Amino acid sequence: MTIAVRQLLDHPHGAAAGILDEGAKREIRRTIVTAVCVPGYQVPFGSREMPVARGWGSGGLQVTLGLIGPEDVLKVIDQGDDGGVNATNLRRIVAATTGCRADTDTRTATIIQTRHRMPEEALDDRQAVVFQVPTAEPLRGVQKSAAECDRMHAEADYSAMWVSLYEDIVRNGLITRSTGYPVLVNGRYVMATSPVPRWDVPRLHQADHLNLYGAGRERRIYAVPPHTTVTPLTFDDVPFVVEYVPGARCGYCGSDDTYLVEAPGDRFVCSDSDWCSRTAAGDSDGPRHRAVAPLAWLPGPSGTSVKSKPSSLVTDSASSSPALSLAGPRPAPAPYDGGDWMLKVDQVGKVFGAGGAPAVDGTGPDFGTAVSPLTGAVVAAWDVSFDVAPGEALGLIGESGSGKSTLLNCLIGDERASAGTMRLASVDAGSTDLFTLSATERRRLRVDTLSIVYQDPARGLDLRVSAGGNIAERLTAAGWRSYRDIRRRAAALLDRVEVPLSRMDDPVATFSGGMRQRVQIAKALATGAPVLLLDEPTTGLDASIAAGVLDLLRGLLRERDVAAVVVSHDFAVIEALTDRSVVMQLGRVVESGLTDQLFHDPHHPYTQRLVAAARR
Amino acid sequence: MTPVLSVRDLVKTFTLHTIDGRTVASLRGVSLDVAAGEHVAVAGQNGAGKSSLLRCVHRTYLPDSGSVTLRLDSGPVSLTALTDREMARLRGREICYVSQFLETPPRAGALEVVADAARRRGLATGEAAEAAALSLRRLGLDEALWDVDCGVLSGGERQRINLAAGTVRPPRLLLLDEPVSALDPANRELALSLVASLTARGVAVLAVFHDLGAIRRLATRVIRMEAGQVVACGTADEILGELETAR
Repeated sequence: MTIAVRQLLDHPHGAAAGILDEGAKREIRRTIVTAVCVPGYQVPFGSREMPVARGWGSGGLQVTLGLIGPEDVLKVIDQGDDGGVNATNLRRIVAATTGCRADTDTRTATIIQTRHRMPEEALDDRQAVVFQVPTAEPLRGVQKSAAECDRMHAEADYSAMWVSLYEDIVRNGLITRSTGYPVLVNGRYVMATSPVPRWDVPRLHQADHLNLYGAGRERRIYAVPPHTTVTPLTFDDVPFVVEYVPGARCGYCGSDDTYLVEAPGDRFVCSDSDWCSRTAAGDSDGPRHRAVAPLAWLPGPSGTSVKSKPSSLVTDSASSSPALSLAGPRPAPAPYDGGDWMLKVDQVGKVFGAGGAPAVDGTGPDFGTAVSPLTGAVVAAWDVSFDVAPGEALGLIGESGSGKSTLLNCLIGDERASAGTMRLASVDAGSTDLFTLSATERRRLRVDTLSIVYQDPARGLDLRVSAGGNIAERLTAAGWRSYRDIRRRAAALLDRVEVPLSRMDDPVATFSGGMRQRVQIAKALATGAPVLLLDEPTTGLDASIAAGVLDLLRGLLRERDVAAVVVSHDFAVIEALTDRSVVMQLGRVVESGLTDQLFHDPHHPYTQRLVAAARR
Repeated sequence: MTPVLSVRDLVKTFTLHTIDGRTVASLRGVSLDVAAGEHVAVAGQNGAGKSSLLRCVHRTYLPDSGSVTLRLDSGPVSLTALTDREMARLRGREICYVSQFLETPPRAGALEVVADAARRRGLATGEAAEAAALSLRRLGLDEALWDVDCGVLSGGERQRINLAAGTVRPPRLLLLDEPVSALDPANRELALSLVASLTARGVAVLAVFHDLGAIRRLATRVIRMEAGQVVACGTADEILGELETAR
């Protein structure tokens, strides 16, 4: 038995057989080239089974094996330590199967495979650092769906990431994330820095050496090539700082300019064992090390906390810059002019199911059905046209199933319209049909041009995030990067919608329905979008709460020059908020007019029934 | 003198689809003019079409045929041909309509309602609040009631709020539908003198009063309607005399 085990430990087919065949290595090298060409972008690769468990550096091992040749010198560290079991194991595997030399001296190594650290030694352009990455996706913490993460990277839509930083500061007074700090690479992709401490993050910026990241489980390789701009994500007024304990020194070598970890007996020691032992032996270049150590990012003497009580924010906002103030008293309305719409919708239609436009025949109020007798398709809306001017609110009324919400979904971009055009005066002076824009462009319009308040607050809000954080999401998407400005703006908005500021930092999931709806309204107003869509904003709230939300909306519409579309089946809501209305039945517009005229002098039989039903 | 308001051959019929499509004729060809500084009172029995006429001018009712023309500084505008949006913009600015019953948004206080009306007329928020206060004071509404939900106030108080909102700034055309029906004599006097002062300042007024005393006091001309048609037109004494003899 003993003999059999020894035979297994020896190389039964000889060391030259290697772990990866040449084809696999070539695929990995090709992936690395792509990763170097697109810094920070996670390139998929065909991650192989390795003779180590996944999670023990299989990704880093593949990158190393793909690159390494007999002339290379390999160093492997685990948390800075060359002597760890895992580091030793990996070093032996690679050296034995490739015939390269292995060493612990950082200065002579050409390939440094590492878990969770960057060596303290200043590196140069002969050297490559290979990081073992457990979680390649920096957005995983804020977005579970991989497809959605891909979309966010593709559109550089990182507001969710900013919200997580905002929430961190709100909860803890400072950004507490210490390992795997997110960085923006080359001004384009947000990247996870594997879990290195913040101490090592500034070393990536304009480095002389190549950084490669291998994630075996997630099958991704990405890179930070030499001389690439790498910026830690942080707010303009919240400085990025590295880990630092004032007065701490290494218990072995006495260094105070290295990344120190706590050791038994209330001591600190260098995490980098090679650097520490050479420093203790007087064999290290201290000045060269200090030049690359992140000493410029040490926290200042005053500390880093930027925590502010929500109650102090509103008084602040009064004195803040005019750009921050909420759209104040509306300027006197322009004298009578007749035209200029902000939103114009022309012959919009939506057919669910087969048939498209030909399915429309035989549907609508005249036929008493929205289902096409020819194809069975549902004609949810057809031939709907209207326009809305700034400072005007248009009502869209009809019973359930009349196509109101479908129409609104088409306008906001949640559904793709089957027919018709939609224009905004603020987009290319109204010359562009929004329905022809890509999903990406449509989504971008929702940041600061086209806002919506859904019936269900859960659709418009992230309930796990605080009220302020939900507003911060919209503001950061619009490019706000000052934490204090975001706080002040969010506080002013929440104050306006009468959400107590003491609740500003609580997750929206802990709010009542009426409060959630108020937060949703505040978020919709955050960027001052010129068009506001309201989909049954008070439905689902009990009478007294609905009344409060309705009064709020009435006041908000009055004080702003937004063009609003209000969808409701409730005449009282339409009457309170709008001047003009459109009545829909079975997907068609059956009547339109001044709201009070529709109420007092309805012409269409359907409208008359609706009005009669509304009178109680 | 060019009239501010010209109504020609106005016809309005209601079709009641909910009651087997029955039709009810309301106006059968009404024509009239109101000049600036003129107070035209419409007299007639219940159901003669007086309120319908006012509502057709305000376009709360959509007339079947005929024309309603308002002369603005920029020239005449056909209220029947105007788009809904243009009409909505004229309302509360050029045309003010004071109905018998206050129709305010729910849960709004008197000062808010009147200040809103003033803002629609182009006043800035601060000015609007001042103008609203002035207007309410002029009609003698107790200041303690200014921030109380209008819905809980008495009929007379509501009527005064309504009138205050309609007259917070003199409009070009003022439509009054029984604006003093619920007022006690003292408050009625305040309201009537306010209307008289507006007429004196050049506002064109088209009004419906059941109260003949009010008509005698305010009207520069009286029109008598019967079954949706104008049957007589003349001075207050002429027409009211006819009416009284008819009884």
